[in-house]
Amino acid sequence: MWDNLTIKEAVEHAKDPYPSIRKWMKDKDKKIIGSTFADVPEEVIYAFGFLPVTIMGTNKPLKKAPSHLPDNACSLARSNLELVLSYEGDLFDGFVLPQVCDTTQHLSDIWRISFPDKYVESYLAPRQADRPSARYWVKEEIERVISSLSDWSGKKIVEKDLWEAIEIHNQNKALLKEIYEIKKNNPAALTNKELFALMKLSQQVDKAELNQSLKKIKDSLQSGNSNGYTDVILVGITCDPPEIYDLFDEVKLNVVGDTLLVGTRYVQGVVPEKGNPIDALTDRHFKRGFFSPIHDNVFKNFEEVKTLYKETNAKAVIYVHIEFCESQEYDLPDLKRMIKNEGILMHTLDTEYQTLSLSHVRTRLQAFFESLKGGSL
Amino acid sequence: MSDRLTSKQMSKKITDEYMDEAFHAHEKGKLIGYSTAISPVELFVAHDIIPIYPENHSVANLTAKKGAELCSVVESMGYTNHLCAYARSDLAYRKTGITVTKGIPEPDLFLACNAQCFTLTKWFQVLARKGNLPVFVFDTPEYVMGRKTREEIVKYCVLQLKELIGFLEEVTKRKFDYDRLKEVMKYSAESSILYRKFLDMAQYKPSPISIFDALIGMAIAVYRRGTQECVDYYQTLCDEIQAKVDQGIGVLPKEKEKYRLYWENLPVWFKFSDHAKLLGSYGSVILTSLYVHAWSFEFDLDKDPLVTLAENYVSRFSNSTIEDRADMATELFKKYSMNGMIMFMNRSCKAVSFAVPTLKEILTKRTGIPALVFESDMGDQRFYSETQIRTRIEAYFETLDRLQV
Repeated sequence: MWDNLTIKEAVEHAKDPYPSIRKWMKDKDKKIIGSTFADVPEEVIYAFGFLPVTIMGTNKPLKKAPSHLPDNACSLARSNLELVLSYEGDLFDGFVLPQVCDTTQHLSDIWRISFPDKYVESYLAPRQADRPSARYWVKEEIERVISSLSDWSGKKIVEKDLWEAIEIHNQNKALLKEIYEIKKNNPAALTNKELFALMKLSQQVDKAELNQSLKKIKDSLQSGNSNGYTDVILVGITCDPPEIYDLFDEVKLNVVGDTLLVGTRYVQGVVPEKGNPIDALTDRHFKRGFFSPIHDNVFKNFEEVKTLYKETNAKAVIYVHIEFCESQEYDLPDLKRMIKNEGILMHTLDTEYQTLSLSHVRTRLQAFFESLKGGSL
Repeated sequence: MSDRLTSKQMSKKITDEYMDEAFHAHEKGKLIGYSTAISPVELFVAHDIIPIYPENHSVANLTAKKGAELCSVVESMGYTNHLCAYARSDLAYRKTGITVTKGIPEPDLFLACNAQCFTLTKWFQVLARKGNLPVFVFDTPEYVMGRKTREEIVKYCVLQLKELIGFLEEVTKRKFDYDRLKEVMKYSAESSILYRKFLDMAQYKPSPISIFDALIGMAIAVYRRGTQECVDYYQTLCDEIQAKVDQGIGVLPKEKEKYRLYWENLPVWFKFSDHAKLLGSYGSVILTSLYVHAWSFEFDLDKDPLVTLAENYVSRFSNSTIEDRADMATELFKKYSMNGMIMFMNRSCKAVSFAVPTLKEILTKRTGIPALVFESDMGDQRFYSETQIRTRIEAYFETLDRLQV
C-alpha cells in the first residue's frame, strides 16, 4: 500500500491518508489506534500489532465539534474532534490520547464520552520535565499504557516486540533526517510541501511499508538549480493547511530547520537502542526539543531557535501560531522580543485549521518576503 | 482573635494583617511565594513563606470593573484577548500600576499547580522570566477513573511534594520542619470542615446564604488556610449563619424562594451584585457551584501529610474527569434541593468552560432540569452583552414557571 509511493503519491496520501488506511486495515485485518499531539509512544502501539495513527485535523467543514468545544478553543483540537465525530470515527478501534494542556485534558474526556463503545485511554504526560519525578512518571505511564492495551486486546508483548517496533520507527526517523539534509543543501531537490508531507505521512501510516518508499524517494532525489532560494527556520507546533507550504515554495523560501511536531521534533524522537526498551522510550521523552505546553523555559526555546538559525545560516524565522493555542500565546510576546533583540528577522503566521482562504497569509508572507529581499539578501 | 468581632470584621482584620505582613516580608527575613489558589500552600505556610495569590488581586480589580481598561493595555503588549482575564489584568497591572487595592508585593518564587489550570503555569512563567525567578510546577495529572491509576498518580504527586520541599529548602537555605507541617495541616483540616459546613448551610429552606455570600466567604479559605485565625473565622461565620437559620432568615423570605439554582463556573465578577439582585427579583437564589467547593478539602490527619495533601489537591473538581464533575454536581443538586441551573461559558477560563457543554448535557439529562447557558467573560466587560443576557434570563424563568405549572 505505502511501500512503493512516488513523492507525488506521498503528497496526495498525506493530504488525506484515511482512504488508504481504510483499505490497508481491511487487507491486513489490523486494528487502528488514533492519537493526537504530542508524545504518545507510538512504538508501544505498533508493538501490539496495531497501526498508530496521529490525528492531525481535517479540512472538511465543522459540524459537530462546535457544540462540544466553543469557538475560542484551539482550532486543532476542534478539527481533530470533528474528524472523529463526523468523518473518520468508525475507522478507529481505539484511541490513546495525550493530555498536554487544559484543552487536550477536556478533549480526551469529551472523546471518551462520545465513543462509549471504543477503547479510549489517556496518556498523562508530565507537564514538567526538569525533575527526577518527571522521568519516573513517564516510565509509569508507558507501563500503564502497555498494560491498558494488553487488557483491552488480550495480547501480551515482550521486549522483542518493542525492540522491533523501535527499530522500524528509528529507521523512519533516520530516513526523514537524511531527506531533510538533502533538501537543506539542494532546495530544488524537493519542495517544502513534499518534505513536510513525508513527515506527516510517517506519523499516520505503516512505517515498515513507508520506509521502503522513503528509501526510494531519497535515492531518486536530484540536485536542481539551487539559486534564488532564501533559507528560513520554521518555529511552532504544527503548520496547517499544507497549502501554506505552497506559498513558501512560490516565493522560493527553503525551510532549513524547524521545531515543529510535524517536523524536527518528530525526527528527534529516536529511541536509544540499548538496555531495557521501556527505559529507552523513557529516555527518548526527554531528548526532544521545546514544546510550549510543557513547563519549560522560553529562554531555552529562544536558544534552540538561535542555534538553529546560526547553524543553518538562515535568513529569517517564521513562527507558526495556531489560533487560540493558549500556550503559544503566553510565550510569543517574549519570544518575539528576544528574537528581535538578537537582530533576527521574524514573521508570525497566524494559522487556523479549517482555513479555506489563505489570501491573508499570502499577502503578509509576500510583504515579509519583499522586506527580506530588500534587507539581507 | 476576639470573639466579639463579627466574621466581616474578622475577615478585614485578617486580610489587613496578612497584607501588611506580606508588604514587610523582606524586612522580617521572609520570602513571598506566588501561588495558584488551588496549590498545596500548606508547605509554604509551614516553611514561613508568605503566599500571595495574584488571582485574588485580579478579582479585586475585575469586580471593581477595571477589566476592560486593564485588558486593553495587555493587548497592546502582544497578548490576545481570549487569555485568562486574571492573567491579562495582572500583566497590565505590572505595566501600569493600575489597581483598586494597594497592589501586591513582588514575588521571590512561584508555585503553580495545574490541578486548577495550566494557564496559571504559563502566566507565572511570564512573571518569572522578568526577574529570572524560580518556578516550581506541581504537576497533577487528571484524576482519571480507576483505583490503581489513581494510586499511581498520588505516588507521583507525593514524589513531587518531596521535591517541592527540597526546592523550598534550597531557595530559603533552611531545613523544612515536618512537625510544623503537621500543625499547619491540623488547621487546614479544621477550617476545611468548617468551610464546607458554611457552604452546606445553603441546604436550608429558605437558604440563609447565596453563592455570592459563599464567594465572599471563601476568600479566607483561599489565602489563610493552615492558620488558627482561619479556623476561628469559619467558626464565627458558621455561628452567624446558624443564628440566621434558627431565626428562619433567608436570602429571600421563605415564601418568595421559588428557585434554588446551581451555578457552573466562576462568577462574572463585575456583575456580582447585579446578578444577585436580578435573580432575586425572579424569586431565585443561586446556592452553590463546584467552584466554591474547591476549597472544602477533606484532609486525613491519620495519613502521612504529603499523601493526604496529594490526594486532596489532585482530586479537585477542576482536575477531575467530566464524568466525575457531573457526579459531584449531581450530588449537590440532591443535597441542596436545586431546581434550576445556570451554565456560564466563561471565555477566559477555558479550564472550566470547555467541560461545560458536555456537563450541561449530562446534568439536564440526569436531573430533568433545563439549563440556562450564556457566554461572557469573568472579568472583561467587553464580552458582556447586557440585553442579550437579561433576555435569556427572562426567557429561562418563563420556562421554569411553565414547567412548575
